Amino acid sequence: MTHRSPLVTLAGLVVAFAIFFGINLANSAPRQATGPGYSSASPSASSQSNQTESPSTTQQVTPTASPSETATAEPEGDQFPEKVVYAGRTDDDSTAIAVAVLGDRAAAYVCDGRNVESWMRGSAGDGELNLRAKNGDTVEAKLEGSTIDGTIELGDEKLDFTIDEAKRPAGLYRVRGSGYTIGWIVLPDGSQVGIEARDDGTSTAAPKLDPDQPDVEVNGESVTPKPVEGDEDI
Amino acid sequence: MSAIPASSTEGTPASIPDTPVRTGPLLVAFGVGSAVAIGLGVYGRLHGATGQALNLAGFSSGIAAKAWLTTAAFVFALVQIFTATILYGRIKISGAWVAPVHRWSGRIAVALLVPVAVHCLYALGFQGYSGRVLLHSILGCFFFGAFVAKMLILTRDDSPGWALPAVGGAVFSAFVALWMTAALWFFATNGVTT
Repeated sequence: MTHRSPLVTLAGLVVAFAIFFGINLANSAPRQATGPGYSSASPSASSQSNQTESPSTTQQVTPTASPSETATAEPEGDQFPEKVVYAGRTDDDSTAIAVAVLGDRAAAYVCDGRNVESWMRGSAGDGELNLRAKNGDTVEAKLEGSTIDGTIELGDEKLDFTIDEAKRPAGLYRVRGSGYTIGWIVLPDGSQVGIEARDDGTSTAAPKLDPDQPDVEVNGESVTPKPVEGDEDI
Repeated sequence: MSAIPASSTEGTPASIPDTPVRTGPLLVAFGVGSAVAIGLGVYGRLHGATGQALNLAGFSSGIAAKAWLTTAAFVFALVQIFTATILYGRIKISGAWVAPVHRWSGRIAVALLVPVAVHCLYALGFQGYSGRVLLHSILGCFFFGAFVAKMLILTRDDSPGWALPAVGGAVFSAFVALWMTAALWFFATNGVTT
């Protein structure tokens, strides 16, 4: 004898799942770079899952490559130094971006310090950078001497930038704690832009990073932000 | 020995003639359940979690809403375990209401869990950055796989006698552990608040 009501329950479960998935899909509207009208709690979505997949780098901070290494131009065009970080603001000054390059791998962070952030990873080679976030946002740039010139694509929004190499303490830093991930861009002029993204979907401006103090206090715990080098799996 | 206790099946006499035990359908049930569990885990891992909020009126945040929804589900799950114990004769209560209450408390509990689970999967994904979160992710997949297996087992009368209590127990235990690794943790860190 077969009983059908468990299958009815199962069918109901599948339908309910489909409905709520649809609601979630409908609610992941394309992100706006800024805007009070923005409804989702955490606009830059993919960063949370990206960050939790990678182990934190434990290497000590080493000096970034000196500009003289990039001065030698190959006949085909500029080549990236073995290890370098670029940091600066977009042309419209709305958003900060930092890119860390290590060998042929690169990692980038785009952040406006309020509600836009995106972690990306990708490749660096022959003077070209191609990075992508899990949600599809991209950064493409070309190396020109010691600056990189390119475009960030966040959903439908395009932001152009031309940024310089960053020397410590300027650069890109990241830390993961229980339930959150924080990224900081420290710009060459000393200003900082950062966002603390929590795993429940909310995000706030990051606590201030003091270059003289290795540790930062977040929610009562003391954590040590690490410089992002370029080969992280984020 | 048939899988479903005699008192539970509506419309059948108190003693059912024994139906032969078959393990084939049982394996199918476990196989489908496993596929569901693995599928959920793979999806949760590969799909870029969007981090978007779950907004439910009356709650301070998505996570608070989820904690309370799952706590409500817990109440219904307790009703289900209680009625299951009656159905298996461990508690001497009789009545035609036991079986329908068992089924409906289960349905309501799972219905309450669906928006929570979908949000967890879609916005947070399968995570491993802490023991609590890893356990929650694994158990979330396991819970739905076990639930599917339980439903499939219930469609037939020819499962071994241990199958239904085992799967039912697995569903309940997984649920309790899920609640503890999320809702209880939330209440412990934030207080019992909305």
